[in-house]
Amino acid sequence: MADDKPNLDLAAQFQEYVTQWERSVDKAYNDFMGTEQYSQSMNQFQNLQLQMQTRFKETMTDQLLNVNMPSRDDVLQIGENVRMLTDRLTRMEEKLDQLLDPEGQRVATKRPSPPRTKTPTPKADSADAPKE
Amino acid sequence: MVAKETDDNQLMSQMQDLVQKTIQRTIKGVQFVNSAPASVGLTPKDLIYSRGTLRLYHYHPMSDEIYRVPIMIVMATTNRGYLFDLLPGQSMVEFLLKRGFDVYVVDWEPPMPSERGLRLADYTDDFLPTCVQKIEADCGEPDVSIVGYCQGGVLSLIYAATHTEGPLKNLVCLTTPVNQAEMGLFKIWSDERYLDVDQLVDSLGIIPGEFIERGFEMLRPAQKTAGQLRLWNQIWDDEYVRSYQAFERWGNETLPLAGEYYRDTTKELLWGNKLYKGTLKINGKDANLANLKIPVMNVMAEHDHIAPYKSTKPLLDLVGSQDKEELVLKGGHVSLIAGPRAVKRMWPALETWLSERSV
Repeated sequence: MADDKPNLDLAAQFQEYVTQWERSVDKAYNDFMGTEQYSQSMNQFQNLQLQMQTRFKETMTDQLLNVNMPSRDDVLQIGENVRMLTDRLTRMEEKLDQLLDPEGQRVATKRPSPPRTKTPTPKADSADAPKE
Repeated sequence: MVAKETDDNQLMSQMQDLVQKTIQRTIKGVQFVNSAPASVGLTPKDLIYSRGTLRLYHYHPMSDEIYRVPIMIVMATTNRGYLFDLLPGQSMVEFLLKRGFDVYVVDWEPPMPSERGLRLADYTDDFLPTCVQKIEADCGEPDVSIVGYCQGGVLSLIYAATHTEGPLKNLVCLTTPVNQAEMGLFKIWSDERYLDVDQLVDSLGIIPGEFIERGFEMLRPAQKTAGQLRLWNQIWDDEYVRSYQAFERWGNETLPLAGEYYRDTTKELLWGNKLYKGTLKINGKDANLANLKIPVMNVMAEHDHIAPYKSTKPLLDLVGSQDKEELVLKGGHVSLIAGPRAVKRMWPALETWLSERSV
């Protein structure tokens, strides 16, 4: 009799369907991608792509140099310099704030640490731990 | 007669639930599309040290009394450290703070172009020892416990094996691939005969985050689509959506890697499997795991597709420690840290193990 009941919990059915679908697709792909042939082809393609990328980069760098324009590496270098300068300025600002602050505030910036005296009390501590 | 009436009532109730969820799904779907990215890593903290790609954070204690020995959590170099502090109530850091631990986290920023030359030795023989020194200076304690996650665990193991004189007191490895011959698809795709790692590093300098992310996604090609379908199904549930958004954001923020570091990890660890074989040398020092005599805990995920169980399992056989323990949990590589099972099983187990060794 129980088997004849219509199951309207479509959400649970959908969840189950998605899980099964995910498993089967992952397995099919993993079986395909886990072969030596796949690894060889993937790496050959990647090597080719890298070679082309390197040649293109070299050509572009030469062209940009000819027209007196910065290359990608130059722009990245400028970006990095700006980031380093910003970091350095932030650190200097923090140090200045610490030096200029009145004594009371300077002490307050270092957060007081609680005493390091805690000892394990597993039974009491685990009482409010989430239960499985 | 009564049974028939109960069945009809159940049917009605299920119908009502279905209609209600369909309406909610529509409303919440519109809200989701317009929602801002998830706010993550909200537990208060101070940045106490930074250098290039390296960040060391100290979290504000949340307990009136804390354990003597601080914890330094080391994040994997490929991902953001806020996985440990994903959301309030879903934060390993918050849990540890409330249980009386003093918590520091080693996190990573994308390496700058000038950092392309960072090597494995820079991480294990410079970054981690410097962080330990900074923690000692900050808290005034001569001992530190390390909790390393994934590749962060590998770095922690190498650091521990090459700095046996201290001050490391305890080491916890979470889903840490030790035997890299068992890295499954990663191992096949990085086959020494086909992967030209020198060309890759020499051409790119910094290995892009998208490249790393693609590698992770290829391990579970259907995961993203299935996740979106599950989200649609559960979109009426605010908690589920909040958690989904946080994990989604974390997964999309995969970090680039310094080229030389990538070359080292590929050649020394993945191809040479030198950490497992005990033949790894860092700046002339033996990184043999048998050197480890401190207490070690190894936490593994049974269904880990990134650091497969077989690659994480051998750790305790390799270390020279007497005090060693392992914990195998159901779940995957990420859910072990921030999923529901982590909250119920992993965090309490970690707390128990560390508390006994942190006085």
